Amino acid sequence: MSINRRQFMKGAVAAGVAGSATMLNSGSAFAAVHNPVGEAQAELFGKFKGNVVLLPSKYGGYVQAMDLSVPETLAWYSYGLHGIDMPIPHHIASMPSADPYKGFDFYQTMQPPASPYVNENSPEWRNRGDFKMFKMRYDGSGKQNSISVVNDIGETTGMSLGVHVSIGVGENANKYVAFADGQKDMVLITDLGDVPKTVKAFRCDYDPIARQLNISHIFPDATTGKFDFVGRKGMKTTHEAMLGEELMPADPTAVFVDAFTWHPTLPFGAILIRRLGCCAIVDTRTWEVVALLSTAKGSPDNFPLVKQTGFTWTFAVPSVLTPLHEAGFITSGDYFVACNNVLQNNIAVYRSTDENPNKWKKETFVEGFGTKYLPLHMGNVPDSRFVYFTMWARKPNNGYICKVDSKTWQVVAKWDTGPDPHTCDCTVDGKYMTTVYSGHQAGQSGLVVLNVENDKIEARLPCPGGMHDHVVVPESWEGLKFSRSTSV
Amino acid sequence: MKLQVRHDRSSGRIKAACAFVSLTGLLALPMGSALADSKDGTFPTAEQVGGQVYIDPVAVGQKLPTDFDTYDMNGQKVDLGSVVQGRRSLVVFFISAVPVSVNELAAIEDFTQKNAKGINLVMVNADTVGAALMGGPKAVIPNSVKTMHFIKKEKNLKTTKIYVAPNDALSADGVSTRLGIRGLPTSFLLDEKGVVQKVFVGPQKWKKGDI
Repeated sequence: MSINRRQFMKGAVAAGVAGSATMLNSGSAFAAVHNPVGEAQAELFGKFKGNVVLLPSKYGGYVQAMDLSVPETLAWYSYGLHGIDMPIPHHIASMPSADPYKGFDFYQTMQPPASPYVNENSPEWRNRGDFKMFKMRYDGSGKQNSISVVNDIGETTGMSLGVHVSIGVGENANKYVAFADGQKDMVLITDLGDVPKTVKAFRCDYDPIARQLNISHIFPDATTGKFDFVGRKGMKTTHEAMLGEELMPADPTAVFVDAFTWHPTLPFGAILIRRLGCCAIVDTRTWEVVALLSTAKGSPDNFPLVKQTGFTWTFAVPSVLTPLHEAGFITSGDYFVACNNVLQNNIAVYRSTDENPNKWKKETFVEGFGTKYLPLHMGNVPDSRFVYFTMWARKPNNGYICKVDSKTWQVVAKWDTGPDPHTCDCTVDGKYMTTVYSGHQAGQSGLVVLNVENDKIEARLPCPGGMHDHVVVPESWEGLKFSRSTSV
Repeated sequence: MKLQVRHDRSSGRIKAACAFVSLTGLLALPMGSALADSKDGTFPTAEQVGGQVYIDPVAVGQKLPTDFDTYDMNGQKVDLGSVVQGRRSLVVFFISAVPVSVNELAAIEDFTQKNAKGINLVMVNADTVGAALMGGPKAVIPNSVKTMHFIKKEKNLKTTKIYVAPNDALSADGVSTRLGIRGLPTSFLLDEKGVVQKVFVGPQKWKKGDI
């Protein structure tokens, strides 16, 4: 860490007053948050003050908290310290904090390295890594910032899920966090405690002969209070399906559940089901499954409930015209949008204001992406004027980020930010959209900051380690509505 | 969970419609149009891969296509057609990424040994996912063969007829699209001419008379 002249003088004076301490022992000279005044790039990055970005390094095995306004890494944590051989920090969500420089909690999921990137077929690889969900804590209150594990939620609940994590907002604010996994087709909802308690869990199974989807509540063992899905237990497929692998032969029951996203104003959440191109809408007051949206163009708005038997809801899914990937609500809650991809590359736009989700209708589609660019992730802004989407592409294409006007549902800007683009997340003031690209876990990778008003690329920072996700720490529960809760 | 597809449960109209859509879709492509493959990053349209995600397997009464690349346990290319020609065969497709499909191999072998004497049991790993990481494209078959040997040893399989058929799930010509397999294991019971007699999707509670 370099020291500017002002800091040097401040430290020297402090040392002199102390009479004996050297400058290196002065806490004021080496504050835990660097002040870049006088540095050449201070003006460039100073406008991002207040934004702490969490960046999990998928193949680096660590997570870092970065002060975007310096920029510098405030603290980082290697999950290898938790005893995991080849940890793959995957998705992330942060609790709100009025002063993220002082502290905040966040959630991190992890999956085993078996994936198309590595030789899952190889016996040498099949036992490396693990499914994990951690509650983590950043502490910036002292002279040495730190990140630590608060709870190994998989061990606590008996269910380990490795894909998206999202924290409840609106009517579900300050209550719940949801985890999902497409290798197990499960969703777990817990409370927000340091020793989390299970609130509800779901499992999805397809019957390809009857062409029906069964969504069931699953329950922990009554004696232990835990599930028996720690580690690889419950896994249908040994790697998370890459984009396009929805067509890959898999376990016949596999549907590739990906995430649970929260409605910002109504008591609903959506289970995103990639392989079926469907989103199951859950009433978070009762946790009953109340609708199954079919998001493909050419399909009905929803598929019918065939029967409910105990805690299992059976829906007819007679045909699947395309898989989807992510889906979620815009900040206002007025629309639910779904990224259809692989066979159709479009974004379905549902009006989502009715208190009966079976009345949610597809009003339009964002289209024109061709056959090489797949709508993948979405990012919100506070006033819901725009929605940002990641358009992912396979090699040798880079993919790009696009900005869609939520009045016309037309693409109004796009950027080739780099190869293998992933998530988008807005800064706390709503002025900038941050996005990461990971170079297919090996090549060019970085964090790009886009200006929401003038579409200028404001900054680009290196991010070694393949950032598959990131999140800007929100400042409030209202701010969480345009963070990674309503959308992923 | 028992998942079994038999002739009387399949929908001829759906198959005919899918076949028509698929055929017309392909015919509609101008010469030189890019079909989905692993080279230029193109993804397929529904019409190119059977009309939707869940396509039906090759139906009873049809000849099972076998003219795709297949390799034996030594990494040598073999003609799958000649492997099944002239013998009543059960061809079981699985992939190592799907535990339920790998676990079913030993159950099928045990069942056929006891209840289907003389059946020609053939196992085909219908994918090579991830096999290129260590050593690039040339390592795909050797690494997959290595895995076959590992599975054979781990599951204590007696059969030597275990093959690997590289699959491109995004291609109209891919093994999974041509055979209509989305759930694994999928087993095809063939007569001596290679014509499908029964199709079994998913793990089965095998009983006498099934084969």
